[in-house]
Amino acid sequence: MADAHLSLRERFWNPEARLAYILILPTLVFLVAFMFYPIIYVFVMSFFKTNKLSDLSKFVGFANFADRFEDREFWWACLRSLIWTASGVSVKFLAGMTIAILLNVKYRGRKAARLAFIIPWASSVPISALLWQWVYHPEFGLLNHTLRITGIWTNPPGWLGAPLSAFISCMWVDIWIGIPFFALVFLAGMQAIPTELYESAYMDGAGGVRSFFSITLAGLRELILISTLLSAIWTFNDFNVIYILTRTGPANSTNILITSVYVNAFTDLHFDWAAVESVVTFVILSLVSVVYARFYFRQESN
Amino acid sequence: MKWQSRSRFFAVPLTLIILLFLLFPFFVMISTMIKAGPDVYADPPHWIPSHVEWSNFVTVWTQYDLANYFLASLIIALGATVLNTLLSVPAAYAVARLRFPGRKFAMYLLLMIEMFSPVIVIISLFKVVARFHMLDSYGALIILDALFTVAFNTWMMNGYFKTIPKEIEEAALIDGCNRVETMTRIMLPISVPGLVTVMIYAFIFAWNEFLFALTFISSRNKMPLTIALYNFVGRWTTQWQYLTMAAFVALIPVLVLFYLIEKRLVAGLAGGAVKG
Repeated sequence: MADAHLSLRERFWNPEARLAYILILPTLVFLVAFMFYPIIYVFVMSFFKTNKLSDLSKFVGFANFADRFEDREFWWACLRSLIWTASGVSVKFLAGMTIAILLNVKYRGRKAARLAFIIPWASSVPISALLWQWVYHPEFGLLNHTLRITGIWTNPPGWLGAPLSAFISCMWVDIWIGIPFFALVFLAGMQAIPTELYESAYMDGAGGVRSFFSITLAGLRELILISTLLSAIWTFNDFNVIYILTRTGPANSTNILITSVYVNAFTDLHFDWAAVESVVTFVILSLVSVVYARFYFRQESN
Repeated sequence: MKWQSRSRFFAVPLTLIILLFLLFPFFVMISTMIKAGPDVYADPPHWIPSHVEWSNFVTVWTQYDLANYFLASLIIALGATVLNTLLSVPAAYAVARLRFPGRKFAMYLLLMIEMFSPVIVIISLFKVVARFHMLDSYGALIILDALFTVAFNTWMMNGYFKTIPKEIEEAALIDGCNRVETMTRIMLPISVPGLVTVMIYAFIFAWNEFLFALTFISSRNKMPLTIALYNFVGRWTTQWQYLTMAAFVALIPVLVLFYLIEKRLVAGLAGGAVKG
């Protein structure tokens, strides 16, 4: 270290460092007020009983946690979050990969196709969710109508009306929004793989499937990791789709951890419960983001 | 080559089928927004309107105050864009170009913040916003919308600054410019493409934002589009033709803006493995 001989004061308060701190200071001030302090406050709140106005009324230690952990609905929400995230990301991944492969074939109009594929991602999430609500409409929705007249499904379900179909319908909307991200990332990755690799594999007698696994997937390894982690976090965090489509109903069937926080707080006014679930969510997200950050930096330094 | 023409043979029809499937809600939107009331609630429903009701477009602006919500969205999104840029660009310059203790930590922190869901802190944000007397104000949404994209934008801008050769700046420093001058006179003009990306991203985020508006805005005349449309579902329950028309109007700006930045966005999200 060239800096080793410098005094502490010189290291932290030389002109360059000073300028850096001044440039970062405004961001830091806002982050402290609207992000770091609120996070700390949520932790504090989780150890207190709160009243309906979310004021702290009494210190109770871990009692709120014990309360939540004894409530079956809490574990159901966790389980739903797990299913929601795991199956959501898997379907997004597979669909995205398929679309990327299709877009990687050269034909006229594939640029236009690529632009069309982006639309669900580019679209505003709340507005998409509203549109889907209309699409899913059991009587007047064009989805059921189309299913009936084409004979694909003569007796389609009421989608958002029953627990299981509501969960799947919400999940599909989240998946639908998330597919283009994977498709675009994978496509960009595939186009960075030199075509000579495929040509020489072809010469060596490798078939399409073989070269897909040993060239394409191998070449995308890092990207797959990063994008899957990122998508997992987004999927886990998806509040808008559920809140707009079903508001966690019917009968809590679409209540995942992230929506549970909000409904506990602003519908049921159980701010202490919401605080506990916020803390749990925060811990889960932090663990995943640490993994993401490590891979991101490792990949960048390569 | 043979395998190429064969794959094309499969790829084109398959692409079309998937697109038809994925764009379904938008076909529904277009079909509904030009229908007259009775057509929307025809039993059985039908795709093609019996006649095209162009006046829906006028009705959403005149009878349903679309202009009001549009303006609210615009004020919030522009405000958030300006604040976000003022915060993230200087911070990004510091992280990208200056050496200071804590730099690495700042980078880690940024990446971590990017992952946070605002829902985690929404209950305490409510208290903070109330204490600053900003409930039911544009100010709260502008600050929060700006802040929750600050990490990503600082990150993107940092990546952009790094692609600019250090020598350009060093030459300016030798010529007698100070750091601030090199930043404003040399770096910023070169970084216009990156700057535009960051600004558009902030704008789109604020335009689409739902949670903060849902939580902090209560007066109807301050509601941005997302929350106004959401609240109308109950009220407009018999008028999906207006809702889809309003949705269409609200979508156009973000679609256009998104197309301008999608390549850089993908590169920024996926890290070094993809070039923008």
